[in-house]
Amino acid sequence: MRSLVRAAWRAFLTSMRLRVVNPWAYLNWLVFPLIFAAVGLFVLTSTGYTRVAYGVLGGGIIGFWGIAYLDGGNSIQDERWQGTLEQIFAVPTPLFVIVIGKILGSLLMGLLSFIPTVALAYFGFHAALPGIDPLRFAISLAVLTFSFFVISLALTPLFAVWRTAFTVLNGLELGVYGLCGFMFPITQLPGWLQPVSYVLSPTWATRALYAAASPTRGSDVTTDWLIALGLSLAYLVASIFLYRFVEIRARVTGELALA
Amino acid sequence: MPAAFRLGAVPPEPPFRHAIEVAGLRKVYTNTRGTFRRTKVENVALDGIDLAIEPGELFGLLGPNGAGKTTTVKILTTLLLPTAGTARVLGHDVVSKTNDVRRRIGFVFGGERGLYWRLSGYDNLRYFADLYRIPPQVSKRRIAELLEVLGLAGREHDKVERYSRGMKQRLHLARGLLNDPDVLFLDEPTIGLDPVGARDLRVLVRGLADGGKTIFLTTHYMFEADAICDRVAVIKKGRIVAQGTPRSIKQLVGEIGVVEFEVDGISPLDLDRLQGLAGVSSVVTAERELASVVTIHCAQPADVMTQLGKLLDGIALRNVSSREATLEDAYVALIGEQS
Repeated sequence: MRSLVRAAWRAFLTSMRLRVVNPWAYLNWLVFPLIFAAVGLFVLTSTGYTRVAYGVLGGGIIGFWGIAYLDGGNSIQDERWQGTLEQIFAVPTPLFVIVIGKILGSLLMGLLSFIPTVALAYFGFHAALPGIDPLRFAISLAVLTFSFFVISLALTPLFAVWRTAFTVLNGLELGVYGLCGFMFPITQLPGWLQPVSYVLSPTWATRALYAAASPTRGSDVTTDWLIALGLSLAYLVASIFLYRFVEIRARVTGELALA
Repeated sequence: MPAAFRLGAVPPEPPFRHAIEVAGLRKVYTNTRGTFRRTKVENVALDGIDLAIEPGELFGLLGPNGAGKTTTVKILTTLLLPTAGTARVLGHDVVSKTNDVRRRIGFVFGGERGLYWRLSGYDNLRYFADLYRIPPQVSKRRIAELLEVLGLAGREHDKVERYSRGMKQRLHLARGLLNDPDVLFLDEPTIGLDPVGARDLRVLVRGLADGGKTIFLTTHYMFEADAICDRVAVIKKGRIVAQGTPRSIKQLVGEIGVVEFEVDGISPLDLDRLQGLAGVSSVVTAERELASVVTIHCAQPADVMTQLGKLLDGIALRNVSSREATLEDAYVALIGEQS
């Protein structure tokens, strides 16, 4: 067990090292969230305090999601291009342990997305979150982080067996922005679309996060946390089967190599 | 062999007869063809191969591109599942005992890819040491040993992108040896290396086999296989067409010698007369800048040499020589005659 923890830790350290030396990674956690936050803040600063929270936090959540969701898959694609995917597949450490290490790196970078967006809101738009409940906010952020972690854990192996996964799953990245209410409440969505939002764990975690940051809403965020955690656990169970499928599928098709 | 090649203790006596045992191994890839009307196409990469490799043996698998060499290696290293047949490494089934196999093997694929170029050589090795679940105190010592033996000490903290091709290949080998494997798979390890680098690597590989490791090598270079392999197999279109020691492979094709000479020009009639000599299996001409080189594959080179003068009376023969048939001669004959 200790050797598995050490392997995950090394995968985390290695992924962080690779990010630090890759200038494009800064686009994901620094530049893109700032763009989203700036647009959101321009639109929302005149619509009342609650909506401003979407501007302050929305860019950060989008940055967080983009990195958490796509970086894991990107790293698998990078491994394929580098010719290292087969190497990490054929070691005695299970693939999911390596992926956990990589995703932990993604999540850390993703959390950093909040720093530039909150700073932009505060210094650029004088927008702040004075009604924030620090404890509820921290727990909500932890639930959101766990939710992203599980989704990324479940989807990342698809990149190992599906070379075109990136183009297909790219649509999911953008869809989740709207479906999970990252920049606006999901009540703005058409009624027929809202059930889709309800089966996505980030919807509930995001709702809790905004509730904890809002002084006008004293709602019970515990229910949101529990639903988000319950859905995440369901995804986790599904991912166990997915990893088994990927292990077999990759060895049948030989998709791990570039050619 | 330097003592440092023997990483860790000598492997214990294995409770199995063959280090690698393959029976009726078959691999079929299914692809689709067409844009709108898609049809499934089956591509047979391996068509029922059998191999039995002794512990400590250096075994070479030879064959043209697409013959099934890499597919064989990938099945044995647990990267691919066979469609039919069985494959065991150190007694462990590669399909059902994947982790037992992975712990005890190492593999090196040729070429420059397969490393993290933006990381240092040391970081590459440290990463894989942890993925092989080697205790830190052991991995630290082993990495230092490998860097020393493979001539990378002093450059280990440089980024891999600054390494020469030979250094990258040696780093590959170091990675493959991290877990002190009992069986090492080398898929065209000298491809793209300069002659000196390739020779150094061959010496290293031979040293590892002499130290007790079982080596499974695939290569395009026949002289390489001839020089270092204990036994070889020739694979063509997914089937083993010959198997044995390099010497027995040469004898398989019925040739024990080659006579070569240069001429300014030679007529088809003269070539036919050479072909008609007793024991001659083939006559091949190759055009060089200033002459034609005639190569005669034959059973009795001495007899052919004595008859050359009479048979080609009036033609100036230069640089007449005879040599033993090489593995390459036998390989060309085997691959050619089966097509």
